Amino acid sequence: MKFLACVVLLLIPVSAAAEDGAKLFAPCRACHSLDAADQGLPGPNLSGLIGRKVGGDAAFDYSPVLRKANGEGQRWDAEKLDRFLADPAEMFPGLWMSIRGVEDAADRAALVRFLSDPASR
Amino acid sequence: MNRRKFLHLSAAAFLATPALLRRAQAQEGPFRVKYFPVAPGSGSRDTAAAPDGTIWYCGQRNGTLGRLDPRDGSFKQIDLGKGAAPHGVIIGPDGAPWITEGGQNAIARVDPSDHKVRLFRLPESEAYANLNTAVFDKNGIYWFTGQSGIYGRLDPKSGDMTVFKSPRGRGTYGMTVTPKGDVWYASLAGNHIAKIDTATGNATVVEPPTPNQGARRVWSDSKGRIWVSEWNSGNVSVHDPAENSWKAWKLPGTGPRTYAVYVDEKDKVWLTDFGANAIVRFDPATEKFDSFPSDMSGANVRQLAGKPGEVWGGESGTNRLVRIQTVA
Repeated sequence: MKFLACVVLLLIPVSAAAEDGAKLFAPCRACHSLDAADQGLPGPNLSGLIGRKVGGDAAFDYSPVLRKANGEGQRWDAEKLDRFLADPAEMFPGLWMSIRGVEDAADRAALVRFLSDPASR
Repeated sequence: MNRRKFLHLSAAAFLATPALLRRAQAQEGPFRVKYFPVAPGSGSRDTAAAPDGTIWYCGQRNGTLGRLDPRDGSFKQIDLGKGAAPHGVIIGPDGAPWITEGGQNAIARVDPSDHKVRLFRLPESEAYANLNTAVFDKNGIYWFTGQSGIYGRLDPKSGDMTVFKSPRGRGTYGMTVTPKGDVWYASLAGNHIAKIDTATGNATVVEPPTPNQGARRVWSDSKGRIWVSEWNSGNVSVHDPAENSWKAWKLPGTGPRTYAVYVDEKDKVWLTDFGANAIVRFDPATEKFDSFPSDMSGANVRQLAGKPGEVWGGESGTNRLVRIQTVA
């Protein structure tokens, strides 16, 4: 599964993925920022997300289910982020954030790349 | 019925009664709490009471508008279209449910008789509005918010739509209309409320006294005072535009997170607290709170609405609707 997610990421042309990723991230900007200096928003800061512990923005007050995941040492990688974006409430029931998952695999891959790689933005 | 059978039924009834109902009955009220399971995976959230006694609700997670019949607990789901993610629903002057349909970036109307869906799409320039909440003003104009930092008006008769940029950008969230017809919204990321001039579309920002309070939703009482659920501070606050005054109260508990607010026909204020996983009732006359914790974890009631004697919410985390009836 992890291998497959990586392959999907690699198969998408970088420029198209960046454009799609930016578009797909647009609604998320109501609550999230990728600028580390941008604090105090309704959602956690997403700069440096990949490799970070789940619930890992120290300045943010997370839902209990994400605090639990943090305590368990769960970390974000591309594969986990892809599964999360497919249906956030499935992975973390009771999550305070409320969105419909991204069903299209290519859209998710573009979004994962956008969130993972600052050079792609 | 013999005594043994009666005791058995009584015990069963007692065991089937949620703990919170028993607790709530010991407080002011009494109140009756009932849960209505709907489709798994629907993410049932904002609700609106229809004139025929049914309850419309948004299935944000599966892209549907649901219709619950509380008389027998049955429900139907209406597919709103590919990629739909409905956030809010209200009843229009035409008796139909009108939906802020964020997934298709459109306002949706569902015909209550044949369930046909009509979309009013936002202009391409506002392709990522993140649609949130809406109200109808006294002239039948539909006003809506988009969390990306917009608000707008739609004339349902002509289909004409105008979108305005929120004065302080992203965060435009809950919305309410006062008995006089004034339209207000709350800005979650912008930490303020604002009044819209419905003639010009201009918005005037009003700052709550608590800094960075996270004003998420608003609801007017019968006197036109604007009640505010403050997500970051855990407060409920009220702004009186006539006196330009504010008051605020912290919700009970150690870490309140005030999400939704609704003011009932007796001007009692109903709130949801994610920190306590509870619906909370605040009586402005006594300044006392009653708490109705869910019997399931992670209930996440994101909006409250109702009709005389009943408050309704969608437990988005448990795929249920909840009704609290005020008996007395």
